[in-house]
Amino acid sequence: MKKILTTCIYCGCGCGLYLNEDRGLLTGAYPSVKHPVSKGGLCVKGWNCHEFVNKMDRLTHPLIKENGKFRKATWSEAIELIAKKFKAISSESGPDSLAFLSSAKTTNEENYLMMKLARAVFKTNNVDHCARLCHASTVAGLAATFGSGAMTNSINEFEEADCFLITGSDTTSQHPLIGSRIINSVIDRGAKLLIVDPRKIELSKYATVHAQQKNGTDVAWINGMMHVIISEGLEDRAYIEERTEGFEELKELVKDYTPEYVEQITTIPKNKLIEAARIYATTKKAMLVYSMGITQHTTGVDNVKSLANLAMLTGHVGFLSTGVNPLRGQNNVQGACDLGALANVYSGYQKVTDADKREKFEKAWGVEGLPGNIGLTVTEIISALANKKVRGLYIVGENPMISDPDQNHVRECLEKGEFIVVQDLFMTETACFADVVLPGASFAEKDGTFTNTERRCERIRKVIDPPGEAKADWEILCDVARACGYKGMDYKDPSGIMEEIRVVTPIYGGMKYDRLEPHGLQWPCLDENHPGTPYLHKDKFAKGKGSFMPRPYKEPVEFPDEEFNFILSTGRVYWHWHTRTLTGRTTTLERESPVPYVEINSEDAKELSIRNRARVKVTSRRGSIELVADISDKVVKGSCFIPFHFREAAANVLTINAVDPIAKIPEYKVCAVKVEKL
Amino acid sequence: MKNEYLPYKVTIASIQKESFDTNTYKVVFDDEKTRDSFDYRQGQFAEISILGVGEAPISITSSPSRKGYLEFSIRAAGSLTNKIHEMKVGDSLYVRGPYGNSFPYEETKGKNIYFIAGGIGLPPLRSLINMTMDNRSDFGHIKILYGSKTPDELCFKQELDEWKKVENTEVWLIVDKPCDGWGCSIGVVTELWKDTDIHPKNAVAFVCGPPIMIKFVVQKLTQSGFKDKDIIMTLERYMKCGIGKCGHCNVGEKFVCVDGPVFTYEEIKKIPSREKVI
Amino acid sequence: MKLKKILQKDVEKLLGEAAKKWQTYVPSKNDEGDTLFAILPKEKDELEKALQRVNLKDDWVAISPKEIFFPQVENMFSFDKERITEEIETSKKLIFGIRPCDLKGVLFADEFFKRNLEDIYYLSRIEDRLIVTIGCNTPPRKEACFCTSANTGPFAKEGFDLELVDAGNYYLVEVGSVKGEEFINLYSAFFEDAGDDEAEKLNSIESDAKEAINVKVDFDKALEIMKGDKDLTENYKRIGERCIYCGGCVYTCPSCTCFNVFDDKLGDNGVRRRNWDTCVFRGYTREASGHNPRDEKWTRTARRYEHKLKYDYSVTGTSGCIACGRCLSSCPVNIGMSKFIEEITTNKRNM
Repeated sequence: MKKILTTCIYCGCGCGLYLNEDRGLLTGAYPSVKHPVSKGGLCVKGWNCHEFVNKMDRLTHPLIKENGKFRKATWSEAIELIAKKFKAISSESGPDSLAFLSSAKTTNEENYLMMKLARAVFKTNNVDHCARLCHASTVAGLAATFGSGAMTNSINEFEEADCFLITGSDTTSQHPLIGSRIINSVIDRGAKLLIVDPRKIELSKYATVHAQQKNGTDVAWINGMMHVIISEGLEDRAYIEERTEGFEELKELVKDYTPEYVEQITTIPKNKLIEAARIYATTKKAMLVYSMGITQHTTGVDNVKSLANLAMLTGHVGFLSTGVNPLRGQNNVQGACDLGALANVYSGYQKVTDADKREKFEKAWGVEGLPGNIGLTVTEIISALANKKVRGLYIVGENPMISDPDQNHVRECLEKGEFIVVQDLFMTETACFADVVLPGASFAEKDGTFTNTERRCERIRKVIDPPGEAKADWEILCDVARACGYKGMDYKDPSGIMEEIRVVTPIYGGMKYDRLEPHGLQWPCLDENHPGTPYLHKDKFAKGKGSFMPRPYKEPVEFPDEEFNFILSTGRVYWHWHTRTLTGRTTTLERESPVPYVEINSEDAKELSIRNRARVKVTSRRGSIELVADISDKVVKGSCFIPFHFREAAANVLTINAVDPIAKIPEYKVCAVKVEKL
Repeated sequence: MKNEYLPYKVTIASIQKESFDTNTYKVVFDDEKTRDSFDYRQGQFAEISILGVGEAPISITSSPSRKGYLEFSIRAAGSLTNKIHEMKVGDSLYVRGPYGNSFPYEETKGKNIYFIAGGIGLPPLRSLINMTMDNRSDFGHIKILYGSKTPDELCFKQELDEWKKVENTEVWLIVDKPCDGWGCSIGVVTELWKDTDIHPKNAVAFVCGPPIMIKFVVQKLTQSGFKDKDIIMTLERYMKCGIGKCGHCNVGEKFVCVDGPVFTYEEIKKIPSREKVI
Repeated sequence: MKLKKILQKDVEKLLGEAAKKWQTYVPSKNDEGDTLFAILPKEKDELEKALQRVNLKDDWVAISPKEIFFPQVENMFSFDKERITEEIETSKKLIFGIRPCDLKGVLFADEFFKRNLEDIYYLSRIEDRLIVTIGCNTPPRKEACFCTSANTGPFAKEGFDLELVDAGNYYLVEVGSVKGEEFINLYSAFFEDAGDDEAEKLNSIESDAKEAINVKVDFDKALEIMKGDKDLTENYKRIGERCIYCGGCVYTCPSCTCFNVFDDKLGDNGVRRRNWDTCVFRGYTREASGHNPRDEKWTRTARRYEHKLKYDYSVTGTSGCIACGRCLSSCPVNIGMSKFIEEITTNKRNM
């Protein structure tokens, strides 16, 4: 019987929890009392995060597809086939005919190796992962304005803040242990809560102001708040003067965004906008919190830049319990970005377009000719399968069939894919399209580190052996590199990989494994004596002066019209995680949320004579799905919301694959649909 | 100590279609010893499994007076019951039990009896009905009042005809949405009060059906002068273990699986109305 | 049997001996600073190391010792095409160093699993069990422990085999059962009779320990209120709204015993397992038809409090709450039984 401290596999909170083992079975999970995030508590997903590991339908052997059917294969067969195919494709069509999708569910070390495999071994920057679908806008938007694209503060600082402006984050559902801190602050300490969200979320009932904007009009209300703040003289002059640049341009741009004009665009009553602006501007310890509701738009980067403007305008960055906090969704999406599983940067956000950085990595990796072009991103990679621009694709722990926009398009692309490798725990919807399927190890079966949303790099620890012949992803990636003749990917264990990461990644410079005991360190952590950084931009911004980047409001790509008369937004529920590969295999979680549904406003339901729990058909220009109606006043009239977890009625059949021009993030939060009674 | 959680293999001997979504499965324990030792009383239930799919409590609809087999009338309503509906004669299921209390029997001898059921509520009563039919002379007048949404949803149509023929026994049927040729009453089950006398004297009423139907029938019975203790019903509640351990069916201080499923209205009244048992 | 004593430095040796004979569970402090129950290993070097970690100081163990007898997940039986094979655990167990409130919880769960039809999985795990409690000189969960209000601590009065009380460089040892007495006789070398004045010392340690409990509520009054028909809907609604449905209060509660049953299967082989379940979840009472008698949040909140403070009391004569405070200390939104009791007995809103 063992009880081993590790880090939760679900959201970006990064709770410390114990996994219990008894005779090879995981028999439970419970919170660490001393861990700074969990503090003796967990959410329901954390309490149940052990169960999927035990499942008997785990992948246990490599599989090779022959004549449309999978057969069991040996590891050497599978790895040699991958090496042979990838080398052949690369020499026929060039390095950029290969692509690699890394995973925010795997460790930092594995993400680093994935980008190393793509870049050092196959000489392509076509490596990306699902951060593209969640916070690519943040990485781009905050890096441009502040110089660092991450949450500025720490989770425990939520316990001291006096005002929260929350937009596009259903915090209690998606980051429960942050949501709980907000609830406690608001109810027990009287902190002010401002929510700008088209939907009524759990937190709405505690809101001082809840403004329900029309989906996709975020730049307008943010500019409107700044208009109010400037016209009432509530901006922080000294801060602007001392720590920022570009204020005059901002002032000029937001001049037009009067509350009346903003109300026309967003439907937010002007008094609400003014009240929210005043409270946010005049509360000292104010935390801006946002998530997918801001980023998943064709204007995602504009949205993020506008929020950064708002925070700088009021002097709300760079202090304890005061900052801009994009909540990262996946347990290790922060880490996967940090370690360079992105098409444009190496680990530590070092640009591939920067020749000095390329030279540095060439030297470190013992290779020549690292590519300097920016690679393809997630949605571009999938689309490139169809036109054969990408002929070989290696996917680790991602399930684009369910998670990517416009499912019919994704299916078509995957079907056309010439050679696809999927490395995962289960036979996912995507793995069905693979030519080779490799069985990976779960978080309970390997060592490594995750980096949570507050930039805390913390350990995960091996509790049990992987089932059958399954192997840790890092071992598999090293096997592939070796089979391709590359000698620079031999490690004894993940701590060895971290040693290499430390050398080439300044923000992880001090993240030695023994220093990560017991509860990790927050980056930047530059060297072995650095204590880590609880909050960013203290005294000055990471890039020097913070840059105001005023952006005008632009409409989403697809607003409702006469035929497709509803705005659809997609998201998640408390009980499930993403494509339900793990939570669908967890008894309690699956029981709590067993069926796909669409939230519809009661007035619309009445007009369409739809009863609660009745089946309805939702159709967009891209496809249609059938599911159960959940009638309430959570969404406003004219809009609807569908959780995207369910393969049985995949919301992403409906969504549009239009993307932000800079971040390439798809517009999951706005598309036009119609709703019909069945 | 007996392991109450271990189920025993049974083989499906016959399948009888009862309504559009309900079949009666006659099953026989593979092991002779289990077959002989499985002693149950009218109104009890058993836990039925398909190994690897799950387990659910199902009332035993056969009469204890008829030995050697068990019958379960199962409505396709969830993943397990849907799977059972895909099964054929000769396939195996797993059964453990019997569990729960039972309908009072000895104490009702000599009395007039009302069986009042709605929809899928008749199967739990079937066991008791057949037992009284098998010992008909022990009882006074018997009325069976049975309603459902459509004629399609009425269970045990053949047996309803048989019961009708038994001396001193009446069967009253009512449906909400009749089809062509429907010769009986139209409406919900409480509307049968208009068609036939329901009299509390020396009588007990057994009520079974969806919570909302029970609620209205109980109201009617009370208005007709039935005492709370003479109104007897079975409760449905989500349950897992069947033996008072897993907690799911715990309402008030009662476990439906061990203290029930049969309760008198007198007992039901003590449970907070918030629990919506009826 | 007379009061005994054992030197603190001898406890390690005693446990070293006992570990050979029993599956010995001790509170063990790990490198990460958390104290958890662990089994002492049999192998000599491993045992030496494990003994260094034994932590009998007043430290917060996140999960109650119910997990020893009622694990979060356990196999009930495995099956293949031919047969069903049950999995029963019957090791001889020494539970050393659990807290008095936790003992109450264990005894409560024992009685529950014996009631009606017996639960073989639980009862076989407790068949051969010796419990040594340790009194709490200071509360392990300072903000949450409220045992004095319910008379469930800080020292145990009954139900233990032995109880230790920290008296400086030695523990006073009370013997609570014949099995406890046999244990002392078996390891008599480690124990000596306590002096005549030690009983008084014990009393004074106990009264200091009682003083050290910070949270005090009117438990008896709460039981009275719950017995009556005072309308607490407003409390339930407010608490139910605040709840984030993590299940932590139930998972950590020493006397909560609800479970779910589920199957896992590959081909013809499979296993039936059970895992902890909680009445605060919506799906806990949802029927196959979709009908859910406890669909509204507050009805689940009401159920939990009524079960603990009303129905457990009316059925067993003792409250299901054993005043350990774990529900509060594991709750991300600071909901807890002591606060609920304070609310209903003083009409003061605190959640």
